[in-house]
Amino acid sequence: MGQWQIAMIMMIGYLFVALLIGVLAGRKQDKSSLEEFTVAGGNLGLFVMWFLMGGAVFSAFSFLGAPGWAFSRGAPALYIITYTAFAILPWYIIGPKIGKIGRKHNIYTVSGFLQKRYTSRILAMLIGIITLLASIQYLATQMKGMAYIFNIMTEGRIPFWLGALLSYGIVVVYVATGGLRAAAWSDVFQGILMIVISWTVGLTIVNQLHGSIPEMFSNLTKSNPGFLEIGVEGSTMSPMAYTTTILVSTIGFLMWPHLFSKSYATNARTIKKTVLVYPVFALFLIPLLFVGFSAVNVIDSSQIGSPDEILPFLITTVLSLPGWVYGLVGAGALAAAMSTADAITHSASLEFTDGFVRNVKKDLSSKATLLIMRIGVFIIGGLAYFITVFGGQGLIALLLGAYGSIVQFAPGVYAALYSKRVTAPAVITGLIVGTLVNYYFQLVAETRPLDIDAGILGLICNVALVILISSFTQVKELPIAEEYRKIGS
Amino acid sequence: MTKQKFVKIYSLSLLVPFLLMVYPLFSLGNRATPFVLGLPFSIFWVIFWIIITFIIVLFLYRIDPDKDEEEVN
Repeated sequence: MGQWQIAMIMMIGYLFVALLIGVLAGRKQDKSSLEEFTVAGGNLGLFVMWFLMGGAVFSAFSFLGAPGWAFSRGAPALYIITYTAFAILPWYIIGPKIGKIGRKHNIYTVSGFLQKRYTSRILAMLIGIITLLASIQYLATQMKGMAYIFNIMTEGRIPFWLGALLSYGIVVVYVATGGLRAAAWSDVFQGILMIVISWTVGLTIVNQLHGSIPEMFSNLTKSNPGFLEIGVEGSTMSPMAYTTTILVSTIGFLMWPHLFSKSYATNARTIKKTVLVYPVFALFLIPLLFVGFSAVNVIDSSQIGSPDEILPFLITTVLSLPGWVYGLVGAGALAAAMSTADAITHSASLEFTDGFVRNVKKDLSSKATLLIMRIGVFIIGGLAYFITVFGGQGLIALLLGAYGSIVQFAPGVYAALYSKRVTAPAVITGLIVGTLVNYYFQLVAETRPLDIDAGILGLICNVALVILISSFTQVKELPIAEEYRKIGS
Repeated sequence: MTKQKFVKIYSLSLLVPFLLMVYPLFSLGNRATPFVLGLPFSIFWVIFWIIITFIIVLFLYRIDPDKDEEEVN
């Protein structure tokens, strides 16, 4: 049996187990309950919660992208573990508060949260649309990762379109049937698999190529001075770009609806304990960075299509590893991509239904809402698949712009939690202008002032506008604003 | 300790390690040598402060006046 056959059997076996766990987790739960589908009844335990949040971070980006960054850019890759460790910390304070507000007013999305506070349908619809576009972009990235892994690990026998269809099809099935609980339990399985694989395979690769970790680094600092530093001769990123990249990722992290909405899915104590153990997830990413460092000076970057291909390339081409390692890495990468894709698909469907559909067509029953959400899972899945397989430049630019815009939710969210003076027109203007500024500097402009990240530039305009416009649009006291501020603090 | 005071302590004590991760303070850790535990200094610096952050959060949880709050709806 060839190595690719062993790998393929292992990956298909993995997909089968993932499907089984997802479907089983959703069984015996009330299928007609909107609350079960959206927030798993609000009673997820610590163990599941931890992996649900962790799985979202361990995406195709961390499995393929983190080694790619380390390989092609060196020290700037440290931004990945830095933001992973720090971005969760505000959740300890704001998570329980958001959860309480949600339970009191029956909210399960970001758009619902903001609509209630600012009593603005336009705002909710904007959030719904931006989330939909950003999620499709996010999903397309994950799907590309899954398809790519299938393709390379079976030495080209499973074509791109089929790999994406197989792996993402399974995600769509268990999310549509089991909702959040199904996504959560598959994330537990996938999370454990990824952690084990990244450590064993990561350290094996380093040892095969360099003997040991210290040896690898001492070779690297001799041959590429500056590569492991920032903003010096030979490094690939300026201090300002590094700092603002960390800032934008840290602020934006909790604004992603699939993470924000987990505040509703459990109680305050579980949220706090999740935050407590979370920085450990950042440490799990370390071996993946080491894989990238180990390939410097071993692989010439012209040998691979893009830096993201470095981990699979090392395994299949450079190292003589047995077929079951192919299979393991394949399964691990699939797990990484799928555990992110399930949460994103779920939340995109929720946000769009709650923020957009329910505001266009009011008086939907909760039964109809649930049905729309289930169908939404398939539609969003289909759209993302279409974009992954067929592409389309203009469309991709639009989605990329939306992806970078999630962080622009932050002023509205934090103002809702801590200020009663901020008004709807201020938040809407800030969101639109912030999004446009981000879009311009991300996709149109050639250079950025002071090399500041596009998202931060947008955020600066956003915050300034929110403060300015709020100061002269306040007309009357809003009881709900005072209530939001008071709950849980 | 009141809840507001805890929030203040929480935010300030975690802001410190965060500021050490970004500029201008990251320049303290931004060097390849000396090696610590086999790691270049910049990498060691980041990992070290993440571990310290982890310990700080553990400690903060212990002093949290509300950690056992039961949901009252």
